[in-house]
Amino acid sequence: MNTLTTINELGFAPALQQEMLEDTTSDHALLEATRTGDQDAFAELVSRYRNQITSYIYRMTNDYDGAVDLAQETFVRVYRAADRYQRTYAFSTYIYRIATNLAISELRKRKRRKLVSLTGFFQQNDGAEAQELNPPDSRPLQDSELVDTERRNAVQRAISTLPEKYRAPLILRDVDGRSYDEIARILETSEGTVKSRISRARGFLREKMRAYL
Amino acid sequence: MSNNNCELIRQELDEVMLGETISAAAVEHLRECAACRAFNEKQTRLREIVGSLGTVSAPADFDFRLRARLANDANRAAFHFWPLARRGLAFALVLLVFVMGYLAMRNVFQRPSGDRQVAADQHNATPAPQPVATVESRQDPNPAPELAESSSDRHQQTIRNERPVRIKRPLMAEDFSNERAPVFNGREPAGAFEVMPLDSSAQSFKVSLDDGRGNARTISVPSISFGSQRMLHMGNQYASKRDW
Repeated sequence: MNTLTTINELGFAPALQQEMLEDTTSDHALLEATRTGDQDAFAELVSRYRNQITSYIYRMTNDYDGAVDLAQETFVRVYRAADRYQRTYAFSTYIYRIATNLAISELRKRKRRKLVSLTGFFQQNDGAEAQELNPPDSRPLQDSELVDTERRNAVQRAISTLPEKYRAPLILRDVDGRSYDEIARILETSEGTVKSRISRARGFLREKMRAYL
Repeated sequence: MSNNNCELIRQELDEVMLGETISAAAVEHLRECAACRAFNEKQTRLREIVGSLGTVSAPADFDFRLRARLANDANRAAFHFWPLARRGLAFALVLLVFVMGYLAMRNVFQRPSGDRQVAADQHNATPAPQPVATVESRQDPNPAPELAESSSDRHQQTIRNERPVRIKRPLMAEDFSNERAPVFNGREPAGAFEVMPLDSSAQSFKVSLDDGRGNARTISVPSISFGSQRMLHMGNQYASKRDW
Protein backbone atom coordinates (compact mmCIF):
# COMPACT_ATOMS: atom_id res chain seq x y z
CA MET A 1 0.00 0.00 0.00
CA ASN A 2 1.29 3.41 -0.88
CA THR A 3 1.82 5.79 1.98
CA LEU A 4 0.61 9.34 1.73
CA THR A 5 2.70 12.19 2.96
CA THR A 6 0.48 15.08 1.98
CA ILE A 7 -3.19 15.56 1.41
CA ASN A 8 -2.59 16.67 -2.16
CA GLU A 9 -0.98 13.36 -3.01
CA LEU A 10 -4.33 11.68 -2.68
CA GLY A 11 -5.55 14.04 -5.39
CA PHE A 12 -9.19 13.18 -5.60
CA ALA A 13 -10.26 13.23 -9.20
CA PRO A 14 -10.88 16.63 -10.67
CA ALA A 15 -13.92 17.03 -12.86
CA LEU A 16 -12.11 16.26 -16.09
CA GLN A 17 -10.61 13.07 -14.76
CA GLN A 18 -13.94 12.00 -13.35
CA GLU A 19 -15.46 12.28 -16.79
CA MET A 20 -12.77 10.02 -18.10
CA LEU A 21 -13.65 7.39 -15.53
CA GLU A 22 -16.40 5.31 -17.01
CA ASP A 23 -19.47 4.84 -14.89
CA THR A 24 -19.54 1.24 -15.90
CA THR A 25 -16.19 0.56 -14.28
CA SER A 26 -16.83 -2.15 -11.76
CA ASP A 27 -16.10 -1.71 -8.09
CA HIS A 28 -13.65 -4.55 -8.30
CA ALA A 29 -11.70 -2.80 -11.03
CA LEU A 30 -11.67 0.41 -9.03
CA LEU A 31 -10.36 -1.34 -5.96
CA GLU A 32 -7.78 -3.12 -8.09
CA ALA A 33 -6.66 0.26 -9.36
CA THR A 34 -6.60 1.60 -5.79
CA ARG A 35 -4.32 -1.26 -4.89
CA THR A 36 -1.86 -0.19 -7.55
CA GLY A 37 -1.86 3.35 -6.21
CA ASP A 38 -4.53 4.98 -8.34
CA GLN A 39 -6.05 7.52 -5.95
CA ASP A 40 -8.66 8.61 -8.48
CA ALA A 41 -10.11 5.13 -8.47
CA PHE A 42 -10.44 5.25 -4.71
CA ALA A 43 -12.07 8.66 -4.95
CA GLU A 44 -14.60 7.19 -7.36
CA LEU A 45 -15.36 4.39 -4.92
CA VAL A 46 -15.86 6.91 -2.14
CA SER A 47 -18.21 9.00 -4.25
CA ARG A 48 -20.23 5.91 -5.12
CA TYR A 49 -20.72 4.67 -1.59
CA ARG A 50 -20.32 7.60 0.82
CA ASN A 51 -24.02 8.47 0.96
CA GLN A 52 -25.19 4.87 1.19
CA ILE A 53 -22.77 3.98 3.94
CA THR A 54 -23.34 7.18 5.91
CA SER A 55 -27.08 6.70 5.67
CA TYR A 56 -26.94 3.05 6.64
CA ILE A 57 -24.80 3.73 9.70
CA TYR A 58 -27.00 6.68 10.63
CA ARG A 59 -30.08 4.44 10.53
CA MET A 60 -28.27 1.96 12.69
CA THR A 61 -26.92 4.37 15.28
CA ASN A 62 -29.38 7.28 15.06
CA ASP A 63 -26.45 9.69 15.45
CA TYR A 64 -25.47 11.64 12.36
CA ASP A 65 -22.01 12.87 13.43
CA GLY A 66 -21.09 9.48 14.75
CA ALA A 67 -22.34 7.94 11.53
CA VAL A 68 -20.14 10.23 9.44
CA ASP A 69 -17.13 9.29 11.55
CA LEU A 70 -17.86 5.59 11.22
CA ALA A 71 -18.45 5.94 7.48
CA GLN A 72 -15.03 7.51 7.17
CA GLU A 73 -13.55 4.75 9.26
CA THR A 74 -15.19 2.28 6.88
CA PHE A 75 -13.45 3.85 3.89
CA VAL A 76 -10.15 4.04 5.75
CA ARG A 77 -10.37 0.31 6.41
CA VAL A 78 -11.21 -0.40 2.81
CA TYR A 79 -8.21 1.65 1.72
CA ARG A 80 -5.85 -0.01 4.18
CA ALA A 81 -7.07 -3.51 3.33
CA ALA A 82 -7.06 -2.99 -0.43
CA ASP A 83 -4.11 -5.35 -0.74
CA ARG A 84 -5.94 -8.13 1.05
CA TYR A 85 -9.25 -7.70 -0.76
CA GLN A 86 -10.56 -10.83 -2.46
CA ARG A 87 -13.20 -10.91 -5.16
CA THR A 88 -15.25 -13.53 -3.40
CA TYR A 89 -18.26 -11.26 -2.99
CA ALA A 90 -19.48 -8.02 -4.48
CA PHE A 91 -17.67 -4.94 -3.25
CA SER A 92 -20.95 -3.57 -1.88
CA THR A 93 -21.27 -6.68 0.30
CA TYR A 94 -17.72 -6.19 1.50
CA ILE A 95 -18.09 -2.52 2.40
CA TYR A 96 -21.50 -3.03 4.00
CA ARG A 97 -20.07 -5.80 6.13
CA ILE A 98 -17.36 -3.48 7.39
CA ALA A 99 -19.93 -0.77 8.06
CA THR A 100 -22.22 -3.20 9.86
CA ASN A 101 -19.44 -4.44 12.10
CA LEU A 102 -18.41 -0.89 12.95
CA ALA A 103 -21.99 0.14 13.69
CA ILE A 104 -22.69 -2.89 15.87
CA SER A 105 -19.41 -2.39 17.67
CA GLU A 106 -20.38 1.24 18.33
CA LEU A 107 -23.81 0.24 19.61
CA ARG A 108 -22.25 -2.25 22.00
CA LYS A 109 -19.77 0.33 23.19
CA ARG A 110 -22.60 2.72 23.89
CA LYS A 111 -24.51 0.07 25.73
CA ARG A 112 -21.51 -0.67 27.92
CA ARG A 113 -20.80 2.94 28.69
CA LYS A 114 -24.45 3.93 28.98
CA LEU A 115 -23.49 6.81 26.79
CA VAL A 116 -26.12 9.24 25.60
CA SER A 117 -25.34 11.13 22.44
CA LEU A 118 -25.29 14.88 23.04
CA THR A 119 -26.09 15.52 19.40
CA GLY A 120 -29.19 13.39 19.89
CA PHE A 121 -30.43 15.86 22.49
CA PHE A 122 -30.12 18.78 20.15
CA GLN A 123 -31.57 17.02 17.15
CA GLN A 124 -35.29 16.79 16.65
CA ASN A 125 -35.34 13.03 16.93
CA ASP A 126 -34.84 12.34 20.61
CA GLY A 127 -33.85 9.06 22.15
CA ALA A 128 -36.04 6.00 22.22
CA GLU A 129 -36.94 6.56 25.85
CA ALA A 130 -38.35 9.95 24.95
CA GLN A 131 -40.65 8.31 22.47
CA GLU A 132 -41.85 5.90 25.09
CA LEU A 133 -42.55 8.70 27.53
CA ASN A 134 -44.14 11.01 24.97
CA PRO A 135 -46.65 9.10 22.92
CA PRO A 136 -47.51 10.76 19.62
CA ASP A 137 -50.41 13.15 19.49
CA SER A 138 -53.22 11.37 17.72
CA ARG A 139 -54.92 14.57 16.58
CA PRO A 140 -54.67 15.11 12.83
CA LEU A 141 -52.21 17.74 11.65
CA GLN A 142 -53.08 20.16 8.90
CA ASP A 143 -49.81 20.10 7.11
CA SER A 144 -49.20 16.74 5.45
CA GLU A 145 -45.50 17.45 5.21
CA LEU A 146 -45.32 17.87 8.94
CA VAL A 147 -47.16 14.60 9.33
CA ASP A 148 -44.70 12.82 7.12
CA THR A 149 -41.78 14.35 8.99
CA GLU A 150 -43.22 13.36 12.31
CA ARG A 151 -43.90 9.86 11.05
CA ARG A 152 -40.38 9.45 9.73
CA ASN A 153 -38.93 10.65 13.00
CA ALA A 154 -41.11 8.24 14.88
CA VAL A 155 -40.11 5.29 12.74
CA GLN A 156 -36.45 6.25 13.04
CA ARG A 157 -36.78 6.30 16.79
CA ALA A 158 -38.63 3.01 16.72
CA ILE A 159 -35.91 1.43 14.60
CA SER A 160 -33.28 2.65 17.01
CA THR A 161 -34.99 0.78 19.83
CA LEU A 162 -34.83 -2.54 17.99
CA PRO A 163 -32.24 -5.08 19.07
CA GLU A 164 -29.19 -4.82 16.82
CA LYS A 165 -29.65 -8.28 15.34
CA TYR A 166 -33.09 -7.20 14.03
CA ARG A 167 -32.09 -3.68 13.17
CA ALA A 168 -29.45 -4.37 10.55
CA PRO A 169 -31.49 -6.77 8.38
CA LEU A 170 -34.56 -4.56 8.55
CA ILE A 171 -32.64 -1.47 7.40
CA LEU A 172 -30.86 -3.38 4.66
CA ARG A 173 -34.14 -4.79 3.39
CA ASP A 174 -36.73 -2.07 3.87
CA VAL A 175 -34.61 1.07 3.69
CA ASP A 176 -31.83 0.05 1.30
CA GLY A 177 -33.91 -2.50 -0.62
CA ARG A 178 -31.29 -5.24 -0.71
CA SER A 179 -32.04 -8.86 -1.51
CA TYR A 180 -32.19 -11.54 1.15
CA ASP A 181 -29.20 -13.25 -0.38
CA GLU A 182 -27.05 -10.13 -0.18
CA ILE A 183 -28.20 -9.37 3.36
CA ALA A 184 -27.30 -12.90 4.38
CA ARG A 185 -23.82 -12.44 2.94
CA ILE A 186 -23.36 -9.06 4.60
CA LEU A 187 -24.45 -10.35 7.99
CA GLU A 188 -22.69 -13.68 7.48
CA THR A 189 -25.74 -15.72 8.31
CA SER A 190 -28.30 -17.84 6.49
CA GLU A 191 -31.08 -16.52 4.30
CA GLY A 192 -33.70 -18.18 6.50
CA THR A 193 -32.35 -16.42 9.56
CA VAL A 194 -32.47 -13.12 7.73
CA LYS A 195 -36.11 -13.63 6.72
CA SER A 196 -37.05 -14.62 10.23
CA ARG A 197 -35.30 -11.63 11.77
CA ILE A 198 -36.87 -9.20 9.32
CA SER A 199 -40.31 -10.62 10.03
CA ARG A 200 -39.79 -10.25 13.77
CA ALA A 201 -38.40 -6.75 13.34
CA ARG A 202 -41.51 -5.73 11.42
CA GLY A 203 -43.64 -7.21 14.15
CA PHE A 204 -41.81 -5.08 16.75
CA LEU A 205 -42.22 -2.01 14.58
CA ARG A 206 -45.92 -2.62 14.05
CA GLU A 207 -46.37 -2.60 17.79
CA LYS A 208 -44.36 0.57 18.29
CA MET A 209 -45.88 2.39 15.33
CA ARG A 210 -49.47 1.42 16.03
CA ALA A 211 -50.56 5.04 16.26
CA TYR A 212 -49.21 5.85 12.83
CA LEU A 213 -50.56 2.86 10.92
CA MET B 1 -59.78 -20.28 6.07
CA SER B 2 -57.24 -22.29 7.99
CA ASN B 3 -54.61 -20.65 10.16
CA ASN B 4 -51.94 -22.61 8.37
CA ASN B 5 -52.94 -21.06 5.09
CA CYS B 6 -52.96 -17.58 6.62
CA GLU B 7 -49.44 -18.09 7.93
CA LEU B 8 -48.21 -19.13 4.51
CA ILE B 9 -49.84 -16.16 2.83
CA ARG B 10 -48.49 -13.73 5.43
CA GLN B 11 -45.04 -15.20 5.00
CA GLU B 12 -45.28 -14.66 1.28
CA LEU B 13 -46.47 -11.08 1.82
CA ASP B 14 -43.57 -10.55 4.17
CA GLU B 15 -40.97 -11.76 1.72
CA VAL B 16 -41.97 -9.95 -1.45
CA MET B 17 -40.63 -6.51 -2.10
CA LEU B 18 -43.04 -3.63 -2.21
CA GLY B 19 -44.60 -3.36 -5.63
CA GLU B 20 -43.80 -6.92 -6.58
CA THR B 21 -46.71 -9.04 -7.75
CA ILE B 22 -47.91 -11.69 -5.38
CA SER B 23 -49.20 -15.10 -6.33
CA ALA B 24 -52.77 -15.66 -7.51
CA ALA B 25 -53.44 -17.82 -4.47
CA ALA B 26 -52.39 -14.98 -2.18
CA VAL B 27 -54.60 -12.52 -4.06
CA GLU B 28 -57.51 -14.89 -3.76
CA HIS B 29 -56.81 -15.41 -0.05
CA LEU B 30 -56.66 -11.69 0.65
CA ARG B 31 -59.98 -11.24 -1.06
CA GLU B 32 -61.58 -13.72 1.29
CA CYS B 33 -59.65 -13.27 4.59
CA ALA B 34 -60.26 -9.92 6.32
CA ALA B 35 -57.57 -10.50 8.97
CA CYS B 36 -54.88 -11.12 6.38
CA ARG B 37 -56.14 -8.14 4.37
CA ALA B 38 -55.75 -5.92 7.44
CA PHE B 39 -52.33 -7.40 8.10
CA ASN B 40 -51.29 -6.70 4.51
CA GLU B 41 -52.50 -3.10 4.68
CA LYS B 42 -50.64 -2.42 7.92
CA GLN B 43 -47.56 -4.18 6.70
CA THR B 44 -47.54 -2.26 3.44
CA ARG B 45 -48.06 1.01 5.27
CA LEU B 46 -45.23 0.27 7.66
CA ARG B 47 -42.87 -0.67 4.87
CA GLU B 48 -43.76 2.47 2.99
CA ILE B 49 -42.96 4.58 6.01
CA VAL B 50 -39.70 2.76 6.64
CA GLY B 51 -38.83 3.00 2.96
CA SER B 52 -39.59 6.70 2.99
CA LEU B 53 -36.68 7.29 5.34
CA GLY B 54 -34.52 7.30 2.24
CA THR B 55 -30.84 8.02 2.08
CA VAL B 56 -29.15 10.59 4.26
CA SER B 57 -26.45 12.46 2.38
CA ALA B 58 -22.90 12.59 3.60
CA PRO B 59 -21.67 16.07 4.56
CA ALA B 60 -20.09 18.23 1.91
CA ASP B 61 -16.66 18.02 3.49
CA PHE B 62 -16.75 14.23 3.68
CA ASP B 63 -14.06 13.80 1.01
CA PHE B 64 -11.84 16.46 2.53
CA ARG B 65 -12.07 14.94 5.98
CA LEU B 66 -11.40 11.50 4.59
CA ARG B 67 -8.33 12.73 2.73
CA ALA B 68 -7.05 14.43 5.87
CA ARG B 69 -7.65 11.27 7.87
CA LEU B 70 -5.83 9.07 5.39
CA ALA B 71 -2.93 11.50 5.20
CA ASN B 72 -2.73 11.67 9.00
CA ASP B 73 -2.82 7.91 9.24
CA ALA B 74 -0.05 7.61 6.69
CA ASN B 75 2.11 10.15 8.51
CA ARG B 76 1.42 8.54 11.83
CA ALA B 77 2.35 5.14 10.44
CA ALA B 78 5.60 6.52 9.04
CA PHE B 79 6.67 8.14 12.29
CA HIS B 80 5.06 5.69 14.63
CA PHE B 81 8.25 3.66 14.99
CA TRP B 82 10.59 6.46 16.04
CA PRO B 83 9.17 7.49 19.42
CA LEU B 84 9.24 3.87 20.54
CA ALA B 85 12.71 3.35 19.11
CA ARG B 86 14.01 6.48 20.80
CA ARG B 87 12.58 5.45 24.14
CA GLY B 88 14.04 1.99 23.78
CA LEU B 89 17.45 3.33 22.88
CA ALA B 90 17.44 5.76 25.79
CA PHE B 91 16.43 3.02 28.19
CA ALA B 92 19.11 0.69 26.87
CA LEU B 93 21.72 3.44 27.18
CA VAL B 94 20.77 4.19 30.78
CA LEU B 95 20.83 0.49 31.59
CA LEU B 96 24.25 0.12 30.01
CA VAL B 97 25.63 3.05 32.00
CA PHE B 98 24.30 1.56 35.23
CA VAL B 99 25.76 -1.85 34.50
CA MET B 100 29.13 -0.41 33.54
CA GLY B 101 29.16 1.76 36.64
CA TYR B 102 28.26 -1.16 38.84
CA LEU B 103 31.02 -3.32 37.40
CA ALA B 104 33.57 -0.54 37.71
CA MET B 105 32.65 0.15 41.31
CA ARG B 106 32.77 -3.52 42.12
CA ASN B 107 36.26 -3.88 40.65
CA VAL B 108 37.55 -0.74 42.34
CA PHE B 109 36.27 -1.50 45.82
CA GLN B 110 36.50 -5.24 46.11
CA ARG B 111 39.83 -6.27 44.58
CA PRO B 112 42.27 -4.20 46.70
CA SER B 113 40.49 -4.99 49.94
CA GLY B 114 40.61 -8.72 49.22
CA ASP B 115 44.30 -8.69 48.40
CA ARG B 116 45.01 -6.61 51.42
CA GLN B 117 43.06 -9.01 53.59
CA VAL B 118 44.92 -12.04 52.23
CA ALA B 119 48.25 -10.37 52.78
CA ALA B 120 47.27 -9.30 56.29
CA ASP B 121 45.98 -12.74 57.12
CA GLN B 122 49.13 -14.40 55.92
CA HIS B 123 51.31 -11.92 57.75
CA ASN B 124 49.47 -12.42 61.05
CA ALA B 125 49.16 -16.18 60.79
CA THR B 126 52.78 -16.96 59.81
CA PRO B 127 55.26 -15.21 62.10
CA ALA B 128 58.22 -17.22 60.72
CA PRO B 129 58.69 -18.97 57.42
CA GLN B 130 58.13 -22.69 57.64
CA PRO B 131 59.09 -25.34 55.18
CA VAL B 132 55.83 -26.36 53.63
CA ALA B 133 55.59 -28.68 50.68
CA THR B 134 52.57 -27.00 49.22
CA VAL B 135 53.88 -27.45 45.73
CA GLU B 136 53.90 -31.18 46.14
CA SER B 137 50.36 -31.31 47.33
CA ARG B 138 49.25 -29.10 44.50
CA GLN B 139 51.14 -30.77 41.69
CA ASP B 140 50.64 -34.40 42.61
CA PRO B 141 47.05 -35.59 42.42
CA ASN B 142 47.93 -39.22 43.35
CA PRO B 143 50.91 -39.29 45.66
CA ALA B 144 52.25 -42.36 47.43
CA PRO B 145 50.14 -43.31 50.48
CA GLU B 146 52.60 -42.25 53.18
CA LEU B 147 53.59 -39.15 51.33
CA ALA B 148 50.02 -38.31 50.53
CA GLU B 149 49.08 -38.72 54.17
CA SER B 150 51.94 -36.66 55.47
CA SER B 151 51.64 -33.99 52.86
CA SER B 152 47.89 -33.74 53.29
CA ASP B 153 48.36 -33.44 57.07
CA ARG B 154 50.90 -30.76 56.60
CA HIS B 155 48.76 -29.07 54.04
CA GLN B 156 45.76 -29.05 56.35
CA GLN B 157 47.97 -27.71 59.12
CA THR B 158 49.29 -25.06 56.82
CA ILE B 159 45.80 -24.05 55.89
CA ARG B 160 44.86 -23.90 59.54
CA ASN B 161 47.94 -21.88 60.42
CA GLU B 162 48.16 -19.60 57.47
CA ARG B 163 44.54 -18.93 56.71
CA PRO B 164 42.44 -18.72 59.81
CA VAL B 165 39.87 -16.71 57.92
CA ARG B 166 39.08 -17.82 54.39
CA ILE B 167 37.76 -15.25 52.05
CA LYS B 168 34.82 -16.18 49.92
CA ARG B 169 36.20 -14.74 46.73
CA PRO B 170 38.61 -17.12 44.93
CA LEU B 171 42.23 -16.04 45.07
CA MET B 172 43.76 -14.63 41.98
CA ALA B 173 47.35 -15.24 43.12
CA GLU B 174 49.27 -16.47 46.12
CA ASP B 175 52.57 -15.36 47.52
CA PHE B 176 55.02 -18.25 47.99
CA SER B 177 58.04 -16.08 48.57
CA ASN B 178 58.17 -16.95 52.27
CA GLU B 179 58.06 -20.67 51.65
CA ARG B 180 61.04 -22.82 50.99
CA ALA B 181 61.31 -24.83 47.85
CA PRO B 182 60.68 -28.57 48.23
CA VAL B 183 63.70 -30.81 48.59
CA PHE B 184 63.93 -34.18 46.91
CA ASN B 185 66.61 -36.31 48.39
CA GLY B 186 66.24 -39.30 46.12
CA ARG B 187 64.65 -41.57 48.66
CA GLU B 188 61.31 -41.45 47.08
CA PRO B 189 60.38 -44.62 45.23
CA ALA B 190 60.48 -44.53 41.47
CA GLY B 191 57.21 -43.51 39.98
CA ALA B 192 56.05 -41.77 43.14
CA PHE B 193 55.80 -38.50 41.23
CA GLU B 194 54.33 -38.22 37.85
CA VAL B 195 56.15 -35.65 35.93
CA MET B 196 53.28 -34.76 33.69
CA PRO B 197 49.97 -36.64 33.91
CA LEU B 198 49.45 -36.72 30.19
CA ASP B 199 48.54 -39.52 27.88
CA SER B 200 51.41 -42.04 28.12
CA SER B 201 50.62 -43.52 24.77
CA ALA B 202 51.93 -40.40 23.10
CA GLN B 203 55.58 -40.50 22.26
CA SER B 204 57.66 -38.49 24.69
CA PHE B 205 61.19 -37.24 24.89
CA LYS B 206 63.05 -39.05 27.73
CA VAL B 207 66.41 -38.25 29.19
CA SER B 208 68.22 -40.39 31.80
CA LEU B 209 70.65 -38.68 34.15
CA ASP B 210 73.06 -40.13 36.66
CA ASP B 211 74.23 -38.02 39.60
CA GLY B 212 77.46 -40.01 39.97
CA ARG B 213 76.38 -41.84 43.09
CA GLY B 214 74.32 -44.46 41.34
CA ASN B 215 71.09 -42.55 41.45
CA ALA B 216 69.44 -42.45 38.06
CA ARG B 217 67.03 -39.71 37.15
CA THR B 218 64.73 -39.91 34.18
CA ILE B 219 63.23 -36.77 32.77
CA SER B 220 60.36 -37.32 30.43
CA VAL B 221 59.11 -34.50 28.23
CA PRO B 222 55.79 -35.37 26.58
CA SER B 223 55.14 -34.51 23.00
CA ILE B 224 53.51 -31.16 22.51
CA SER B 225 50.21 -31.28 20.72
CA PHE B 226 48.22 -28.37 19.42
CA GLY B 227 45.18 -30.51 19.00
CA SER B 228 45.42 -31.62 15.42
CA GLN B 229 47.58 -34.66 16.10
CA ARG B 230 45.35 -35.76 18.93
CA MET B 231 42.24 -35.39 16.78
CA LEU B 232 43.90 -37.31 14.00
CA HIS B 233 44.91 -39.95 16.45
CA MET B 234 41.40 -40.26 17.83
CA GLY B 235 39.83 -40.21 14.40
CA ASN B 236 42.13 -42.87 13.18
CA GLN B 237 41.38 -44.94 16.22
CA TYR B 238 37.66 -45.15 15.54
CA ALA B 239 37.74 -45.25 11.78
CA SER B 240 37.57 -48.48 9.90
CA LYS B 241 40.96 -49.41 8.53
CA ARG B 242 39.52 -50.51 5.23
CA ASP B 243 38.09 -47.09 4.67
CA TRP B 244 41.55 -45.63 4.34
